[in-house]
Amino acid sequence: MIISTNWLSDYIAHGLSDDALADRLTMCGLEVETVEQTGHDLKGVVVGLVISAGQHPNADRLSVCKVDVGGDEPLDIVCGAPNVAAGQKVAVATIGTTLHLPSRDNPEERVAVTMKKAKIRGEESHGMICAEDELGLGSDHDGILVLDDDAVIGTAFPEYLSAKGISTTDTAIDIAITPNRPDAISHLGIARDASALTGKEICRPAVAIPEIGGPVADDFSVSIEAEDLCHRFVGILVKDVEIKESPAWMKQRLLTIGLRPRNVIVDITNYVMYECGQPLHAYDAATLSGNRVIVRKAIPGSSFTTLDSKERTMPEGALMICDADREIGIAGIMGGENTEVTDATTDVFIEAAWFDPSSIRRTAKALSLQTDASYRFERGVDAEGQAWAAKRAADLMVELAGGTLVDGMIDVHPFPYEAPVIPVRSQRAVDIIGTAIASDEMVRLLEAIGFGVTETQAAPAVWDVTVPSFRPDVEREIDVIEEIARLFGYDNIPEPTHSRIPNFTPGMASDRQLRERLRDVLSGVGFRETYTNSMLPVETAERFNDPALPGGRYGGEVVETMNPITTEMAALRPSLLPGLLRVAGHNHNHGQQAVRLFEFGRVHTKRQTNRTLVGDYTETETLMVLASGQWREQHWEGDARETDLFDVKGVVDRVFGAVGLESPRYKQRDASALASWGVDILLGKRWIGSLIRVSDEVAETYSLRHDGLAAELDFTALAEAAAAAIRPTFETISRFPIVERDIAVVVPSSQPAGPMLEVIRRSAGNLLKDVRVFDLYEGEHVGQGNKSLAFGLRLGADRTLRDKDVDKVMNQVLKALEREFDAKLRG
Amino acid sequence: MDSSSQSAAEAAVQALEDLKADIEGAVLDTADAIDAYRIRYLSRKQGQITALMKRIPDVAPEDRKAFGQAINAAKSTVEQRLEEATAALSAGGASSAAPADLTLPGRTQPQGSLHPITQAARLITRVFENYGFDVAEGPEIEDDWHNFTALNFPPDHPARDMQDTFFIEDAEQDHGGILLRTHTSPVQIRVMEEVMKDGEPPIRVIVPGRVYRNEAISYKSYCLFHQVEGLYVDEGVTMADLKQILHAFARTLFGEDVKMRFRPSFFPFTEPSAEVDIWWHDENLPGGGRWMEILGCGMVDPNVLEGVGIDSEKYTGYAFGMGVERIAMLRYGIDDIRILYENDVRFLEQFS
Repeated sequence: MIISTNWLSDYIAHGLSDDALADRLTMCGLEVETVEQTGHDLKGVVVGLVISAGQHPNADRLSVCKVDVGGDEPLDIVCGAPNVAAGQKVAVATIGTTLHLPSRDNPEERVAVTMKKAKIRGEESHGMICAEDELGLGSDHDGILVLDDDAVIGTAFPEYLSAKGISTTDTAIDIAITPNRPDAISHLGIARDASALTGKEICRPAVAIPEIGGPVADDFSVSIEAEDLCHRFVGILVKDVEIKESPAWMKQRLLTIGLRPRNVIVDITNYVMYECGQPLHAYDAATLSGNRVIVRKAIPGSSFTTLDSKERTMPEGALMICDADREIGIAGIMGGENTEVTDATTDVFIEAAWFDPSSIRRTAKALSLQTDASYRFERGVDAEGQAWAAKRAADLMVELAGGTLVDGMIDVHPFPYEAPVIPVRSQRAVDIIGTAIASDEMVRLLEAIGFGVTETQAAPAVWDVTVPSFRPDVEREIDVIEEIARLFGYDNIPEPTHSRIPNFTPGMASDRQLRERLRDVLSGVGFRETYTNSMLPVETAERFNDPALPGGRYGGEVVETMNPITTEMAALRPSLLPGLLRVAGHNHNHGQQAVRLFEFGRVHTKRQTNRTLVGDYTETETLMVLASGQWREQHWEGDARETDLFDVKGVVDRVFGAVGLESPRYKQRDASALASWGVDILLGKRWIGSLIRVSDEVAETYSLRHDGLAAELDFTALAEAAAAAIRPTFETISRFPIVERDIAVVVPSSQPAGPMLEVIRRSAGNLLKDVRVFDLYEGEHVGQGNKSLAFGLRLGADRTLRDKDVDKVMNQVLKALEREFDAKLRG
Repeated sequence: MDSSSQSAAEAAVQALEDLKADIEGAVLDTADAIDAYRIRYLSRKQGQITALMKRIPDVAPEDRKAFGQAINAAKSTVEQRLEEATAALSAGGASSAAPADLTLPGRTQPQGSLHPITQAARLITRVFENYGFDVAEGPEIEDDWHNFTALNFPPDHPARDMQDTFFIEDAEQDHGGILLRTHTSPVQIRVMEEVMKDGEPPIRVIVPGRVYRNEAISYKSYCLFHQVEGLYVDEGVTMADLKQILHAFARTLFGEDVKMRFRPSFFPFTEPSAEVDIWWHDENLPGGGRWMEILGCGMVDPNVLEGVGIDSEKYTGYAFGMGVERIAMLRYGIDDIRILYENDVRFLEQFS
């Protein structure tokens, strides 16, 4: 909400500069977002008298005027306005004055122009006679602004304005009002806090509240059928108003706070709302059928045309204002077109009511229609403020629109306000805030913002605190304590010198520690961590909801949001793959040859599983490792090499090793739309993830320029396996050296190495410590269709191995390989 | 003894003599040289010593012993040299001579990196872990109860507008609506519910995690970001304690002389509530800097405690929450949040 400092100064002489005021408000909970100067000082503009206005010799539409501005000689000024005439008092911008004139291209924009002596069509001109818009006082450009006859020649124009209550400059302070401060959504509300902060008195406009009943109650009747939703309805009638523009000072204030002036009646209702926080509505009294007003619930689905000429369908529970025949307004949100004030209006019926905040909020939400009124009602307006606001508006209509007040006031008040009384313990305030604020200081702070304090017990003091009607948010002791703390100043609370820490057991092997370890391991082997968007188009999510990947493996549906920002972000990712492919493509297209990425993130699916925490949704944390492009760069002693399956497998093995697990098994899986080939990653029988080569179609979608190799692991499963793994226990290291032996065998080229390794492990017995494949050869020496695989075995025991022990193992291995794979020892 | 055996013997002895210089002098400074040396002398098919062994029968019986010893001596020289050379090579000191060009670049290891969000989150969690906070995590898809209602956001209350929400399921079912969590605070509720099943406070946790906001994407806001939430519930916890821990945090992140202020604010789940600003020096601004908000905090609202069965008269608590991206952007001088989610390698490598 924007407040005008000029306007605020009507109610309090706080004595602070704009910046100091902004700072004090911020530190008491009214956060100032911006402080902006508006208007210009109009220095150099003076009051002048047009002595003569004659036809310009060379231009039909121009006049040459002699203007007395209080100097020795009158000034010659060329003027283009049709209404200029001798005898007028006018505002003259003298030479050297800078005005901010509306731009010719865009009247909303203003351009600084400094007055210079000029020759206009051959006639000298020493300044300019100003129109309203040129002075920033309005939009009128039809002619020059003619001043009151009693304006004193030669006085500075800002002085003339200031005597009329108009200031040429103002400051707009934009305050972010938190939802708990309905009392602060007005100038008087801000003044109240400023008063509490500075100790300066508030001066409210004097308003005489009429007696309930009287002539207006003879003319009009109000009945509330939905009493639970409307606790009070005040009506006042003003007759014979003249519908015209508001006075300049009011228009200027409305403009400063960002409102567009309409006509004097509508402007007054807005002005009073921004003055005291109570929304008002003005009906054209002549249009109220049967001179009746009824507050009741709408028929759901009925349609109603609001004063912005939009037809709206009423939701269930909407509260309506009706006359004898029809609906005339959506209570607390917007009036109807059928009863709005128009240029033909003469009599105005002013409504000031209290509506149930939840009801207004539900209806405004359902209609997607938030107005200044609904904003205040849904936060809770002052339960006692209706009569004051209605009469204040009526007084202004009498003063500014020439209206006649009809005596009396309608006040239907099914739920009279009862001020809540809250017992508050001073000791509790001290216990929460953590510093000993004197109890009389607490009383002073509360009284400064309108709370009543009665002591019911002394030392430590306990009070009955009476909450003012404009603070509906204060319901509990803690709410009162917050008021004390806020006004005491959080910055004044001293920090303790020591910190108490409860006796607790520090957490150890959590998922988080494994995740952080893997982050270090992966970044250590040359992978870069990414964070990608969890939201993507539905089609993309469906494409990657693939059983090859941990998210899609559940076989659930893609999770969609009901209110996406765009269709580009309508679903939640079932896999990290699309996000990482996008990053890979982006980097390939920005000159990166080698792309090695990893990410930890949650993937989502709609399916009830044993991991479900909320609804039917399953959330799984996965780890993706993706490499695409060069694995090794061209180097002075070696060639560049593209990433292949075995690079990524090695990284996956590293991941398992880093969390204390043995290397997983890899089992070939079928091709799919997503993967031209791939392997499942298994730990024993448990599926942990997969490693795929992204299909060409998918690679093309993401503009990959190299093969995309990606492994996505179910991190939750991995962490569970890691947690279940047997904690390493110390084994005695043999004092005897390891013996290494190699064996090379020839097998058909199609024979995979994996099963052969398993057979070697099985057949070698417990002397085997390790086995690796150290050579793979295909070529003339082993014959067409064959290959040679060489295995290196490391053998050891807690004794010196004799040749015959070793030979025995090698023999067993060879026999097993011969038997299982028809392998031939390579000679 | 016939002359042919005599000459064969002499030839064999001569051949052995001829090899001596190479056997003793060959340069064995590379694996290839060592291999060739081994093959040259000892290989079963091509080895010259192997070949000489086969010629022993040609030598006269009375000379055979001496010849055999000479071959054996040569063989052991070869073996010994092989062993030494291999050992020297594997020790990296095959030669004490410097490589030909010491200025050639080394063999590099590829450089990886941790994302700045991870780095900032680690920094934040480390401070609080040092202060005895445990770490908890929770789901990103939440129900209305945990995200709003249990946190004292009444239904139909404007406070719900403070956080623009992505909804997944309407409120009609028992769960009151399913949504993407708008903050990590629902994990506070989950942690307290869990503790209260069979225990009592103290509870002292931080909660890092991803949260979602339905806001237009711009340089300063993204549809999701990361928060770290903190919660401490115990007997006698005060706002003064809250100020102390957050000041300690700010000093760690922004320097010992950081200027910080506590500003009253509003969150439904804390009361009193505050936002914390730090003074950000910037010579280009009038006043030499400006206040930058870094986190929100407050004393846990009694409604929140009572809602999970904690006696709010006996226990009080504080809670705080901050945006990890915001902290990262401040620390690293990043001016557009979107670049964090673009993952351009040229950006990531700055955080290696």
